[in-house]
Amino acid sequence: MYDMLYNLINVVFGFNWPTWLISLIGHAAVAAILFAVAPFQMLFLTYYERRAIARMQDRVGPNRVGPEGIFQPIADGVKMFTKEDIVPKAADRWVHLIAPCVVVAPTMFMFAVVPWGPGMVPVDLNVGLLFFFAISSISAVGLMMAGWASNNKFALLGAMRSVAQMVSYEIPAILSLLAIVMITGTLSIVSIIDAQAGLFINSVDLPGVPDWGLGWFIFTPVGFLAFFCFFIAALAEGERTPFDIPEADSEIVAGYMTEYSGMKFGLFYLAQYVLNFLLCGMTAIIFFGGWQGPGVNWLYSQAISPANPEGMWLFNVLAGVLGVFYFLAKTYFFFFVMIWIRGAYPRLRVDQLMDFGWKFLIPLTLVNMLSAAIWVGLTRWGAAEGLAFIEGWSAGVRWGVAFALTLIINLATYIMMARIYAASQAARSRLELEELRDLAAMSR
Amino acid sequence: MNILIQVIFGLLSALIVGAAMMAVTVRNIIHAALWLIACFFGVGALYLLLEAEFIAVVQVLIYVGAVSILILFAIMLTRQIEGARHLVTGWRLWVTIAICVALFATVLVPTLLSHNWNVPPPVIAEGSDLPAEPLAGAAELGRDFVFVYLLHFQVTGVLLTMALIGAIVIAFEERARRRRVLTLAEEHALREQKKNRGTEEQENR
Amino acid sequence: MTQAIPLEAVLVVAATLFCIGLFGALARRSMVGVLIGVELMLNAVNINLVAFWRYLEPGFTGGLTFVIFIITVAAAEAAVGLALIIAVYRTWLTSNVDNVDSMKG
Repeated sequence: MYDMLYNLINVVFGFNWPTWLISLIGHAAVAAILFAVAPFQMLFLTYYERRAIARMQDRVGPNRVGPEGIFQPIADGVKMFTKEDIVPKAADRWVHLIAPCVVVAPTMFMFAVVPWGPGMVPVDLNVGLLFFFAISSISAVGLMMAGWASNNKFALLGAMRSVAQMVSYEIPAILSLLAIVMITGTLSIVSIIDAQAGLFINSVDLPGVPDWGLGWFIFTPVGFLAFFCFFIAALAEGERTPFDIPEADSEIVAGYMTEYSGMKFGLFYLAQYVLNFLLCGMTAIIFFGGWQGPGVNWLYSQAISPANPEGMWLFNVLAGVLGVFYFLAKTYFFFFVMIWIRGAYPRLRVDQLMDFGWKFLIPLTLVNMLSAAIWVGLTRWGAAEGLAFIEGWSAGVRWGVAFALTLIINLATYIMMARIYAASQAARSRLELEELRDLAAMSR
Repeated sequence: MNILIQVIFGLLSALIVGAAMMAVTVRNIIHAALWLIACFFGVGALYLLLEAEFIAVVQVLIYVGAVSILILFAIMLTRQIEGARHLVTGWRLWVTIAICVALFATVLVPTLLSHNWNVPPPVIAEGSDLPAEPLAGAAELGRDFVFVYLLHFQVTGVLLTMALIGAIVIAFEERARRRRVLTLAEEHALREQKKNRGTEEQENR
Repeated sequence: MTQAIPLEAVLVVAATLFCIGLFGALARRSMVGVLIGVELMLNAVNINLVAFWRYLEPGFTGGLTFVIFIITVAAAEAAVGLALIIAVYRTWLTSNVDNVDSMKG
């Protein structure tokens, strides 16, 4: 893309600008596009969520503004803009003002490494995956600032809850992704997507598989357990039901957003929906192949790319459109699953949330990393690494043994962990009941 | 290109030094922690400028995402946000300033500037104006952690486990000693109980 | 990159940061303030190590591993230090360094 820009400016127009200026212009253009796309996603997702949840609750949802109510988010946005911006007298003015920006900025940063289609990535960082999660952890600081600066008990409680939740659930999220990183051997998001070509089987582990773009990690036991843990952690990171404790409106009003109004409140909303979109997108990218799907790779092999400079530009467009379609379809599907869970499950309590993260998800992800190590050893290692006995096996046999072994390990661990966890929770609730009974006896 | 890098470096140094100054001098300790976060962020950006991508990301992940959050939590749990005297006063302040300035002006800077660092000349690749140096990245780092620095790596793991256990043991408050916050209903029940006891005593009299 | 900025410039920034951190660690009265100063000093050391790695041994991972170890130690130190602060606050109801002096002879 920057080569094209370079050609256009220096060769066609003959301006002879220095390369750094051109790359600056190119990056600025991409950033501008992303800044336009992010709020648009938020507008669409609010409408989507309200309509979907309305259907689940046997209502109609917003249907007055425009055909089927599709302009409702715009009307809401106008309302937000025109509302009065109230700052509490006792608030810490500057921190109160900066907090929404600190929450929104990281979500915009995170778009920098998300690939939308084949060859359509703003920056292909070597450490893209880690970058994504490092940046997402910054918004916790913003939440803390918002909660503290508001000088309001509910806001502070909500901020403490949300930060504790985000920090604890970051660990299972990153650990479950580490299993995938071990299998692919790279932290670059683009390479992780490239590794998912094939047909129900990864073409890296089993060469010679037809490339239909369906070699997603979800079809392996390691990937499935990682997806299970990651999606739950993503629900907690994005503060979705059943983990919407920080803004549990029946307990602490609106959490850290209590003292915000007008556009600052809108910014928090924007950050939340964009974060949810990105987490769904990341789920789709890591476990469901991102833009991979039947046909995309074939189209892209005909297009202009670094590997094939003599391609047709038409195929670029086609591959891009199809890739973005697959990516967005998967992402919106996961957002639908989030709404579905919101419609189906009640909210957890704070201590239950912490228990679940630390005592159930983290052990499960650690065992999953062991499975990933076994997978890598069985499918790729040989005599050089000290596994001489699998030297003679064919790729198919290796793959089958690895699949069976990791499946057994993961399934056994899951069943065992679920039993232990259920027993401990039952014991705990029994204790709580006894305590309550004692209290009742005391007050009688 | 060089001018751009120099401008960015200047801005980053200004951010780092300015934020650090604010972090150690502002009265409000929460503001100090927020300035500290700004400083961490500047340092992370400086790592990016020095082409240490992995370290930069780790800096943001650990310092901005975890350590500063921990500090903010500790401030909020100890509720000592604004003290009347946030710095030491009198002669102690002047001695402290003197120590820091003396260290900076007479030891660190002269040594840094006078020492011959033997920086190797940049390797210029053929046909390109950008130096093609063999930069160690995340992959090399991971390999060396397993093959060269394995013992150190495991010792750090043990250290982290010890820190985790130690922090829990130190900060743990036994359930029995914990001050229980009563719910509104419980408070009401207690009040009723006291009232009843009072009336009973009156009746007994 | 290495031609644009001399190594000394990066080192001077790190030295400044170190001295500011030292000032914070010595002059602050609240324990959290002292901890902030110590974190600044550790960051200054990290900048030094990364700069040495980049300018002197870019192909060798030794400098980077040092940085990772220091970050780990800093995280552990912060966790234990803040646990101590909370424990001290619970006992003395203060988190100022000067007020915790019951061991004074």
